[in-house]
Amino acid sequence: MTKNKLIFFIILSLLTAGGASAAAKKSIPSPALAAISGLSAADMPYDSGGTTLLSWDADPTAPAGTVYRVFVSSLETGGWIKAEEFGSGEKMSGSLDLPFWAWKTRPGVHEVKVELNNSFGEVNDGQVFHFKISKVGGAVSAESAAVSGSTRGNWFRLDRLNNIVMLALVTIVFFWAVSHAKRKGLFIRRIAGLDAIDEAIGRATEMGKPIYYVPGIGDMTMVSTIASTFILGEVSKKVAQYDSTIKVPHYNPVVMTVSKEVVKQAFLEAGRPDSFREDINQFISQDQFSYAASVDGMISREKPAACFFMGYFAAESLLLAEVGATTGAIQIAGTDAEGQLPFFFTSCDYTLIGEELYAAGAYLSKDPMLLSALKAQDFGKLVVMVSVVLGAITVSVCSLMHWGVFAQLIANLFKSY
Amino acid sequence: MKLIKKYIPLAIVFVFGILTLLTYYVPHKHSVNFLEAMNKWENIVSAFAFFLGLISLFYSHYAKISRKADGWGYSIFVYIGFLAIAVPAYVSHGKNMNGSSLTWLGWAFQYIYNPLSATMFAVLAFYIVSTAYKSFRIKSLQAFVLFVAAMVLILGNVPLGQMIWEKLFGWTSCAISDIVDWILHVPAVAGKRGIMIGIAIGAVVTALKIIFGIERQYLGKD
Amino acid sequence: MLKDKLNAVLKIDRRWIFLALAVVLFGAIMHPLGLISNKISRDTQSAYDFMNKLPAGSFVILSLDYDPATSPELNPQAMAVARHAFSKDLRVGVVTYAAGATALIEKVFSVVPGEFKKEYGRDYVIFPYQPNAVAALTQMASDIYGIYDKDKDGKDARSLPVMKEIKNYKNVSLVVCIAGTSMPDAWVAYAGDKYGVPVIAGVTAISQPGYGPYLQKKQLKGLLGGMKGAAEYEYLIKTPGEGTSGMDALSLAHVMVAALIIVSNIAIVILKYL
Repeated sequence: MTKNKLIFFIILSLLTAGGASAAAKKSIPSPALAAISGLSAADMPYDSGGTTLLSWDADPTAPAGTVYRVFVSSLETGGWIKAEEFGSGEKMSGSLDLPFWAWKTRPGVHEVKVELNNSFGEVNDGQVFHFKISKVGGAVSAESAAVSGSTRGNWFRLDRLNNIVMLALVTIVFFWAVSHAKRKGLFIRRIAGLDAIDEAIGRATEMGKPIYYVPGIGDMTMVSTIASTFILGEVSKKVAQYDSTIKVPHYNPVVMTVSKEVVKQAFLEAGRPDSFREDINQFISQDQFSYAASVDGMISREKPAACFFMGYFAAESLLLAEVGATTGAIQIAGTDAEGQLPFFFTSCDYTLIGEELYAAGAYLSKDPMLLSALKAQDFGKLVVMVSVVLGAITVSVCSLMHWGVFAQLIANLFKSY
Repeated sequence: MKLIKKYIPLAIVFVFGILTLLTYYVPHKHSVNFLEAMNKWENIVSAFAFFLGLISLFYSHYAKISRKADGWGYSIFVYIGFLAIAVPAYVSHGKNMNGSSLTWLGWAFQYIYNPLSATMFAVLAFYIVSTAYKSFRIKSLQAFVLFVAAMVLILGNVPLGQMIWEKLFGWTSCAISDIVDWILHVPAVAGKRGIMIGIAIGAVVTALKIIFGIERQYLGKD
Repeated sequence: MLKDKLNAVLKIDRRWIFLALAVVLFGAIMHPLGLISNKISRDTQSAYDFMNKLPAGSFVILSLDYDPATSPELNPQAMAVARHAFSKDLRVGVVTYAAGATALIEKVFSVVPGEFKKEYGRDYVIFPYQPNAVAALTQMASDIYGIYDKDKDGKDARSLPVMKEIKNYKNVSLVVCIAGTSMPDAWVAYAGDKYGVPVIAGVTAISQPGYGPYLQKKQLKGLLGGMKGAAEYEYLIKTPGEGTSGMDALSLAHVMVAALIIVSNIAIVILKYL
């Protein structure tokens, strides 16, 4: 039995030796790839967790076409899943889209983000994963030893520091402006469209015709809609004082609910709570063109003396404003949808552009605190203007002098991450 | 009363405004979960508000019909339109297609809602043409610039316009599509960017006014 | 006498203009001239190139947010983009944030997949309408199934082969948003800028100029504008459709507007120097 086994092994070893030598004769040996060194796994900063940052030394001698494969496993041994594959010249340190104050570029090092939840679903903080890298160039390959690491959720996006600094600056200026509100008067440029509101309401009262206030098709999260409710409050107050009639057709039921309160309050403040009626604010439809058709119908039938179009508008802007214009109403529009501004310009008597709409509440209420807050807006614009001019000069100079790195640093400061 | 009508709402606005702002700077899971919860709340509130809207719609048209107010006949169509879509939607379990055939809802959608809606949008084209006729009159140098830009864009946008350009200005070896691209990507973008930046800053300041309770018109002043 | 006539031309009742436009459009639709746009605009070309270079099997989100009102302009775009995606063997996930779009989506996908022998669930999936777009877009950044756990028929989305290895924006190669609303802005803000997902938009001709800044900053990888954009895309994928056939009416209407503007200005000049 033992003798038979021995003969079998001798024959087998002879056969394999023969095969190996034949293979050696046929193929030309490829140069071996350099071993992978310096592999480490760390938690990716500035994220919500679940991402590991792998880094290792680049191999400048790797032949063209060499690729790296990144494997990850949740098990101590085996269970490897390929997470990434890329060329040897890619994913170098610095290729991550992070600014200079949040990331130190290490020359000659690969840095790869491995999103663990892509392969393992929900990943808990502190859960340990294992990683290894293989380098493949043609027929030869090299593999690193496995390293382990865990991830955790981070509490601050340091890369957004520029954003928070800008916000802090605007907030400081805002509070400074508001706290100095009552010290002295503030010059506010006249906004013709808002000055005409009194005239429009007066005209409606004289003619005994209603006023239409169209708050647009935005929802309550949009700044233009919020601004529109401010204006609605002021307009309603004047309407109540003049004992005129106002109608507010709505596209969005949430906006309708808020507007109802605003109008009710305005009538109360004007000392005319008895004139308030529930059907001043009326829901029409949450379909853009059904809304436009219905409001157009109401305007055509009732021929109002004045129409206000304040808020966010899309393609229905011209449909509404043109119909209003044919009835001979005074029309005042305001929107931050710049695509619709040309339509309002041609069909309305006055148009508020974007930020004028936001400022309208303050302008009409003449509340010193609100008016002063406009200073913060001007400060923001000043910062942008100075940045645009300085940025353009700096980048042009850098490009002429071949200071690419400096230009990059400046660009980092103004980029949103 | 003041506590309920003023202080508590202002406190809610302040706390949730600041927390939502912070989610932009805090990447942690708690922050992500908070934002998701807020979004869900918004959805729920919207859904309930829609019912309020529907009640308001029905009530106001019912009042018009019962008062026989001017144009009360149109109000009947609100109910007819509602039933024409709502009943088929109920019968068809909200599905437009049953295999390859149209359900009742699909039919109502395709042959009632579709043409009505498309008609309203098509009316826009007529308004644009008449508005263009009135607006592009050269009364000043600025209006002349606007006129030239408009003509180039109108011609450059369609094959027939491109052919006309080739006939008239082909000798300049200047392609109209290049000019259109330039107008859309340089002066138009410059203007739009200016407005966008102004709007963005205005939005930040308005948000601060609301979060810090300086602007509270939407609550009623006192 | 001439002065009165010219004044009458300038103050013409707009209903005559409406009638003239209706006649022009009707004529072009009844007797097509066969005008084809073969000069492709840069933005349509970039959109085509971007999608064309995606490897087979890539997952593309098609956000179709248009209603019947804007469908004459946008439906041909959706058809052309869907055809291109299927011809490149891309996987398609269809979402919508416009309630009126659901039936239009079903119409598009009752035609296009069959042309390429594509199967529902394996090659494409249609998700139900979601009312709150911002909430959905934010949610998809971490987990698509957090908002779309079921498809339009109520089937478990995770179990569909088309969704294999699709978890969040990281697995999405491209978003194409064809919308009559401001949805492309939302996609750029919540998916493109924040998570680096490439976004291509298809919009109505009227809103096209507004997207210039996004194109300049490469926040949009391409843009289809109105029926012309659809016709150009159809030309690129070599499948003429509704976009190409609509170009005649569009051409004549444009030329009519140009003629009206010129006539009114000539009248003004004559009146000024008469």
